[in-house]
Amino acid sequence: MRYLRLLGIFANTELQFAMQYRFNLLLEVMQIVIVSGTSVAAVLVLFSYTTVMNGWTLPQMIVLLGVYYVVQGVEELVFQPSFERFMEHVRLGTLDFILLKPASGQFLISFRHFQTIQVVQVLVGMLIVAIGLGQLGADLTPGNALAFVVTLVSGFTLIYALLMVLSTLCFWVVRVDNILAIFWAFIDAGRFPIDIYPGWLRFTMSTVVPVGIAVTVPAQAVAGRLDPIGTVTTAVGALVAWLFASWFWHQGLRRYTGASA
Amino acid sequence: MRIYRALLVAQFQSMMQYRLQMFLYVFFSFIRPIIFLAAWSAVAAFQGGRIGSFDEPAFAAYFVTLTLVTHITMAWNSFEFEYQVRQGQLSPLLLRPLHPIHYAIATNVVWKLFTSVAVVAVAIFLAVTFHARFDTQPWHIALGIPSVLLGAALYFTFDYALATVAFWTTRVHAATTLYNRIAFIFAGQIAPLSLLPGPLQTIAYILPFGYMLGVPADILRGGPSFEQAVMLVAGQVVWLVIALVLFRVLWRAGLRAYSAVGA
Repeated sequence: MRYLRLLGIFANTELQFAMQYRFNLLLEVMQIVIVSGTSVAAVLVLFSYTTVMNGWTLPQMIVLLGVYYVVQGVEELVFQPSFERFMEHVRLGTLDFILLKPASGQFLISFRHFQTIQVVQVLVGMLIVAIGLGQLGADLTPGNALAFVVTLVSGFTLIYALLMVLSTLCFWVVRVDNILAIFWAFIDAGRFPIDIYPGWLRFTMSTVVPVGIAVTVPAQAVAGRLDPIGTVTTAVGALVAWLFASWFWHQGLRRYTGASA
Repeated sequence: MRIYRALLVAQFQSMMQYRLQMFLYVFFSFIRPIIFLAAWSAVAAFQGGRIGSFDEPAFAAYFVTLTLVTHITMAWNSFEFEYQVRQGQLSPLLLRPLHPIHYAIATNVVWKLFTSVAVVAVAIFLAVTFHARFDTQPWHIALGIPSVLLGAALYFTFDYALATVAFWTTRVHAATTLYNRIAFIFAGQIAPLSLLPGPLQTIAYILPFGYMLGVPADILRGGPSFEQAVMLVAGQVVWLVIALVLFRVLWRAGLRAYSAVGA
């Protein structure tokens, strides 16, 4: 409860911060709309030649693309700005001030900073999902909806855990921004269902860099293509990843000595 | 010529510091073509292995040559130029006796030479794993090489013209995004130009973007017939002339409008 209130305060601060640059916000909204729109266009071009791609119909693909933008939006809304600042804190030695605050250090470094504009990206993603669902017809059962929410949250958790582990590495090697850049390369591949990729890439996208799971599985769930076992497996996997990330964070913290100590 | 040798050597030395960035760049450069190659392969597989004149090995060949062509032609002046204007680094460059474009050309050429070994390795890897089949005749290569160079000149000139927007406003980013996304659809990145449906294809052959990437890639793969290829290269020449004129006009007008940030 206390943490929810803190989260509210952080979001409010960041919103006020962003509102200082209104014209910039407008330009960024425009860019988000352009990027999402052209991605939908690319999918339409592909489906002008076929009705099905590896078992995915056009409405299902639209849903998947929407989920992709929701996942990417959430990631850029919270995770990316927070973890970037965290690594800077380690480099500059200002992490001490955060660790001294009377709240969980892990919470503070994970959720302190927001890139408020990315809310628009998430909304655009949801809009695309809604359009896809509309095309799909009205066979969205409560079960599928539940599976969608569960797998989507699991997907966020998986990505959070990965980014948490990668940025915790900065306790050992100070410059890890470049390792994070590899993550950006893979997230781009999330825009299509992972089952179309060759084995090694599919493997990478579902284990080391679980962007593929985070996007494809919720889309499967909402399209009714996921059995309950798949939902449970994803949720358990996410839980394990989260526990591991927390454990890893504590290991790193134990090693931390401050920049000039 | 001597000026260029000095510029190239200096650039090469400064670039050797960024080996890790090179690795990352190469990494990025091969994820994007794989995404669309995999998508087209999946579509082709469902349609009995063939779409238009493309079967799966032909798609693979197209996206392999596209990877190479993208690497050779790409330019990033619009990002750098905005930064230089914003940070006030442009003013001293303007005072030097050499047009700033020559520094940009030198950086561009050296970066490409520097990374080419890795990119070629990536291309071979893609060609082998996706079983690419090239229909390239000797004349395809004879036409393809000038076509790639024309594509590179075209890409560079347009990008630099776009960069001059920074003379008027330091928010080039929005313009760049719009430009890049139009290119994303029409340059041949999402599909070979000849597979774009109806009106999109007409637009693609009118706009300059296809002549930067898709056209040279398709010629090198051995796609078009001789007559078609000659027409396409002619289209590149026309667009290059337009681009050069546009650049000169924008540059002059921009210099007059420019006042250093902070001045």
